Amino acid sequence: MVENKSFANVVMLRKLLFFTLVMFVFGYALVPFYEKFCEVTGINNLLQPDVQAKEIRVDESRWITVEFDANTRGLPWQFKPLQTSARIHPGEPVNVMYEITNNSDREINGQAIPSYSPRFLDKHLKKFECFCFTKQVLKPNETRQMPVQFVIEPGLPQDIQTVTISYTFFELPDGTAAAVKR
Amino acid sequence: MSNSPADKNHVSVWQIAKAVLSAFMGIRKKSDLEHDAATLKPAHVIIGGIIGGLLFVIGVFSVVKLVIN
Amino acid sequence: MAAVHGDAHGHEHDDHHPSGIMRWITTTNHKDIGTMYLWFSFAMFLVGGTLAMGIRAELYQPGIQILEPELFNQFTTLHGLIMVFGAIMPAFVGFANWQVPMMIGAPDMAFARMNNWSFWLLPVAATLLVGSFFVPGGAAAGGWTFYPPLSTQGGLGVDLMIFSVHILGASSIMGSINIITTILNMRAPGMTMMKMPLFVWTWLITAYLLVLVMPVLAGVVTMLLTDRHFGTSFFNAAGGGDPVMFQHIFWFFGHPEVYIMILPSFGIVSEVIPTFSRKPLFGYSSMVYATASIAILSCVVWAHHMFTAGMPTVGQLFFMYATMLIAVPTGVKVFNWTATMWRGSMSFETPMLFSIGFIFLFVIGGFSGVICAIVPIDIQVQDTYYVIAHFHYVLVSGSLFALFAGAYYWIPKWTGRMYNETLGKWHFWLSMFFFNMTFFVQHFLGLAGMPRRIPDYNLQFADFNMISSLGAFGFGLTQLLFLYIMINCIRSGDKAPQKPWDGATTLEWTHLPTPAPYHSFEKPPIVK
Repeated sequence: MVENKSFANVVMLRKLLFFTLVMFVFGYALVPFYEKFCEVTGINNLLQPDVQAKEIRVDESRWITVEFDANTRGLPWQFKPLQTSARIHPGEPVNVMYEITNNSDREINGQAIPSYSPRFLDKHLKKFECFCFTKQVLKPNETRQMPVQFVIEPGLPQDIQTVTISYTFFELPDGTAAAVKR
Repeated sequence: MSNSPADKNHVSVWQIAKAVLSAFMGIRKKSDLEHDAATLKPAHVIIGGIIGGLLFVIGVFSVVKLVIN
Repeated sequence: MAAVHGDAHGHEHDDHHPSGIMRWITTTNHKDIGTMYLWFSFAMFLVGGTLAMGIRAELYQPGIQILEPELFNQFTTLHGLIMVFGAIMPAFVGFANWQVPMMIGAPDMAFARMNNWSFWLLPVAATLLVGSFFVPGGAAAGGWTFYPPLSTQGGLGVDLMIFSVHILGASSIMGSINIITTILNMRAPGMTMMKMPLFVWTWLITAYLLVLVMPVLAGVVTMLLTDRHFGTSFFNAAGGGDPVMFQHIFWFFGHPEVYIMILPSFGIVSEVIPTFSRKPLFGYSSMVYATASIAILSCVVWAHHMFTAGMPTVGQLFFMYATMLIAVPTGVKVFNWTATMWRGSMSFETPMLFSIGFIFLFVIGGFSGVICAIVPIDIQVQDTYYVIAHFHYVLVSGSLFALFAGAYYWIPKWTGRMYNETLGKWHFWLSMFFFNMTFFVQHFLGLAGMPRRIPDYNLQFADFNMISSLGAFGFGLTQLLFLYIMINCIRSGDKAPQKPWDGATTLEWTHLPTPAPYHSFEKPPIVK
């Protein structure tokens, strides 16, 4: 009777430990699941080009100032836009050049991550070309100029007169292609 | 819902569904509960609960879709 | 359960166990381990409370007086971590250790050695956590939820916190495996599942929740650790990760955690209220069912903690509706307790006072929770003192008041002595007064826009903050009264009879002498 009981206890212990392990793995499984979920639902696809819309009406009655901002974090690059701002009509295609220089004497992989102000700008911003869609590999002391092509749709709320588009370059460890994949 | 002792061991899907649904509400008649306790196995209730949870998620989600459209 | 008189277990043991400190280090007795859990959690409660006093002292006046902002952030972070993982959770495990075997007629916990081990992990974890104040860079300062990027950037203190959370998680998982096995396999003959006291039921469900979500927490802090030191980029945007994903995984653990901290207190209150109303619990089965469904539903509402993190409208509405619906089974419980008291012959000893205080204040906390669940309001009040007020109403006047109720209720059985009823009542009324003085005004502060986790504030918030700080000091001092009452009870309380509460019906009162013998129910009682 007593032995039966302790045997039953050990069986239960094994089951529960197994369950714990399953849940631990489940925690990790949430990572690919989350990425898949975002991909399928289209949340978070900052790094993919938008489809060129058929025809965007240019709203010539309004002016918007677009400010360009460039930062690097933790890598010895110099990164700047060739113009700091542009005054445009909503719906008008814009083409801006950015320049990066690798100041070090080693080859470095970098990935740019965009961020917008105001935050909901991404709903009204269509980007057709951007250096942030792929990783950038710079040889020692290489300088490169790269374009960004985008349209701000006329649907942008009327009270917004200035928007900022900012990019930050992060260093990618060798062989990391995760950012590019998304 | 009078169950004769003969079919006491018979568990219908409906009975599990009722047990789970009333659990979500938090209200259950005592006689029904005693019947449940006598006949339902934990596995029934757990599986029923998980399915109920899924249905709950789907239900709320459909309401949300309805509201958005 | 017929009230059998006298002691059902056969003979007194010669307790041949080591004496002195070795008794406590090597013990495998559930009562010893329960006692250690309770003392440990009370010690951590005082540490976390001291941090809270520091926070409130700094917020007593606008401007920076006592704590530098960096240290202030460390205080808020560690206050949260210590109270959640060091005080409240171990306290409930302590109650489970003492009460579960006695309430189901088992001789001890299922795995006595593992029980010892899961306790002794706690002081190690606590040392790491408290010790992190003294390492270079200080303790973790990114909030108790340790969101990246702050938690991937901090210094050694964050690493210590991560290890500490790992250890505490392992301890909780072992504790809950033990409790589940004890409850499922070790019940006395005749103690069917639906005859188990509600405290046992709530702990069974809580333990399942713990093994469900604690491993996920362990996983997410491991990811944090590898992000910090091993070059992975789970949460690092530059490497293709996503900091918002941390919030999702964390709250997948975090919301069930909220219920882990409240379900056992539902259990305690569901024992105390019938006893002092001298009536069986109204709708026992509804309570069991509602607890189970709360547990299931708690896993699908996590994202209401992150409405402002960026989410499609569909997601916001889904989590808003689901959250409001989970209030239904919780509300049913409140009605059950009220209906239990209805026309009962009630008496108001300290445990009952704390239980009624619990219901009263928990309802306030529950309602402010429903208000926070509404997306447009949440976007206004998120990260303000309104949220602070909300979760202190459910955690302090919820979990903590229930713990006090349980402590007063069972201390005669544990020690064989009665506590001082007058002082107990003073403890309740002072706690009640100062608690509301501290936290009720924080609702106003939050609605007026005072942000949390900031050491300074605008002049307009000065009056309410002063009231709140004074209340907090009062509340802190009042808890020393509790310490005094307990020590006084253990050392020189009046002898308690076997069943000092005449409405009590559970096995530990009806079948065991007072104080409960070191080995109880070696021969299982027969439950009718």
